[in-house]
Amino acid sequence: MALYRALTVASLKMYFRNRQAIFWALFFPFLIMVIFGLLNFDRFNPPDVGIEDRAHNLVSETLVDALQGSSDDPLLDITLADSESLLDDLNDGDLDAVFVIPEGFGEVGLASTILVSYDVRRQQQRGIAIAILNETLEGLFRAIVDVPREYVFEDRFQISESAVQGQGQGFKGFLVPGIAAMAIMQAGIFGVVFTLVRFRAQGVLRRLFATPINPTHFLVGQVVTRLIIAVLQAFILLIVGALVLGVNVGGSVEAWMVLGLFSILGGALFISIGLAISGKARNEDTAAPISNIITMPMMFLSGVFFPLEALPDAVSSVSQFLPLTYLADGMRAVATGGAGIADVTGELLGLAVWTAIAFGVAARMFRWE
Amino acid sequence: MGSEVDDGVAPDGVIVVRDLRKRYGDLAAVDGMSFEVRRGEVFGMLGPNGAGKTTTIEIMEGMRKADSGTVFVDGIDVARSPKAVKSIIGVQLQAAQFFDHLTLAEIVGLYGTLYGRTVDSMALLDRVELSDKAKSYYQPLSGGQKQRLSIAVALVNEPVVLFLDEPTTGLDPQARRHMWDLVRSIHREGTTVLLTTHYMEEAEELCDRVAIMDHGKIIALDTPDALIDRLLATGFRHEREPKLANLEDVFISATGRSLREE
Repeated sequence: MALYRALTVASLKMYFRNRQAIFWALFFPFLIMVIFGLLNFDRFNPPDVGIEDRAHNLVSETLVDALQGSSDDPLLDITLADSESLLDDLNDGDLDAVFVIPEGFGEVGLASTILVSYDVRRQQQRGIAIAILNETLEGLFRAIVDVPREYVFEDRFQISESAVQGQGQGFKGFLVPGIAAMAIMQAGIFGVVFTLVRFRAQGVLRRLFATPINPTHFLVGQVVTRLIIAVLQAFILLIVGALVLGVNVGGSVEAWMVLGLFSILGGALFISIGLAISGKARNEDTAAPISNIITMPMMFLSGVFFPLEALPDAVSSVSQFLPLTYLADGMRAVATGGAGIADVTGELLGLAVWTAIAFGVAARMFRWE
Repeated sequence: MGSEVDDGVAPDGVIVVRDLRKRYGDLAAVDGMSFEVRRGEVFGMLGPNGAGKTTTIEIMEGMRKADSGTVFVDGIDVARSPKAVKSIIGVQLQAAQFFDHLTLAEIVGLYGTLYGRTVDSMALLDRVELSDKAKSYYQPLSGGQKQRLSIAVALVNEPVVLFLDEPTTGLDPQARRHMWDLVRSIHREGTTVLLTTHYMEEAEELCDRVAIMDHGKIIALDTPDALIDRLLATGFRHEREPKLANLEDVFISATGRSLREE
């Protein structure tokens, strides 16, 4: 026991005294987060608007058609449904705004007010949606409404707005936990591989092998150190990412405990993969490509930057079983999706199976020299 | 090299090597070697590069398996109980470094723990004259300081035998002499020392007996004096009468004995 403790304490000291390594372990994922966060892919799409058409007359249908725009140049991305389910979607962050077209819309002699609900966090989308609605109504007023001259536009069509505090987190809420998961993978694999390959090249491992200890003693110290780092790194990235990008993360003590559990399981998994690679790689020149071949596909196929649904079915049917997919999905569900531990048992199980496999392979492949 | 080891009990030799063989592909790195190291002596292994010195020493240290033959260290069969042997010997390996970002005191303490001991790091560092570096990290040390640290680490378990693989290679004359003094003082305290070297002057200076190896075999084994006398008996003479001092004596007398650390 004293052996395990001494080796763990020693490797923790070595890690935390190496300030540069710590800086890069945090800075690189954080940089990716900020870059993708600034790009904010939500903004490039037409606003998502839900419409309930209570009038169902020629005028209202002309309006909905006009709001849709052409297929080449869509104005709004419209979902038609009843207002109750639309407001739920708005609340979940799946919609930017909801329009309710009143009964008798556009009928002669009747003033019509369109109710607009919007997500307060999406002022930009709200602005676009309202502008498009205004412009379209004006066109409609001029074109088809038979109006006596004394009527002015403002008397016929009005817009009444109400704000809704949405709960869903959009792309940033998707991104932050995904990057934290990716950072666990990168630190686990690259951190372990390069440390051990360097130790081997310097003869540090050979010198340890000259003492009466077992490989396990040394490896346990390494794994425990890296697990502590994995949890700290994940928490720091989640918290800083949440602050900088304005995402709500965690929310309860239970959520943070489940996130800790995910960090530990995911950490153990990727550390084991790192140990396996470092057993195979003779030097740093082979360690880098082997590590990249394993991490690169997962970065893009495991739903870190965009959802699996964006991938071709043939790819996503395989990539849903990748280790990083389980970690990213699980952490995302808990960090920004409000899920509890009962909702993520599948992901935890998937990770546990992968961890067992990877550790078995690692134990066979480790060498001192 | 008389005594028998058939019953598995080591005779007077603290290390007993019998018919040791190790091949790497076509190369017989160790090709039927037998010798004993006596308790309390400084034993030198000499030979050109590739003679099999390091392979032999690593088999004795329990770090490499022989193809055949036996090695007993203090009565323990290395092939059967490598861990038991490792725990009673001290080793200094060629080109093996220590952890960086740990202080020298921490490294010595950590290695003590690996042998299940609580050691006085400062006393050990003092022993190799590194106590002023106790708080510095490993990487910035000079070559001589790194070698001395590896000796301090090799002593953490108060070893029965100390193995030194080319302990002075790459050191300047001052640091080399310093290392000699250290080896002598360890020897005086009763520790058996087995060392390899390429410097004949060093072997002559330190070793009670030396084995000269080539192509995996021992071709001569005796005290340095006896080996020299045997050569002289064949009629060998230097072409010039050697002077009573050499260039190294000039160098040391000009630059002093005190250690230089960059």
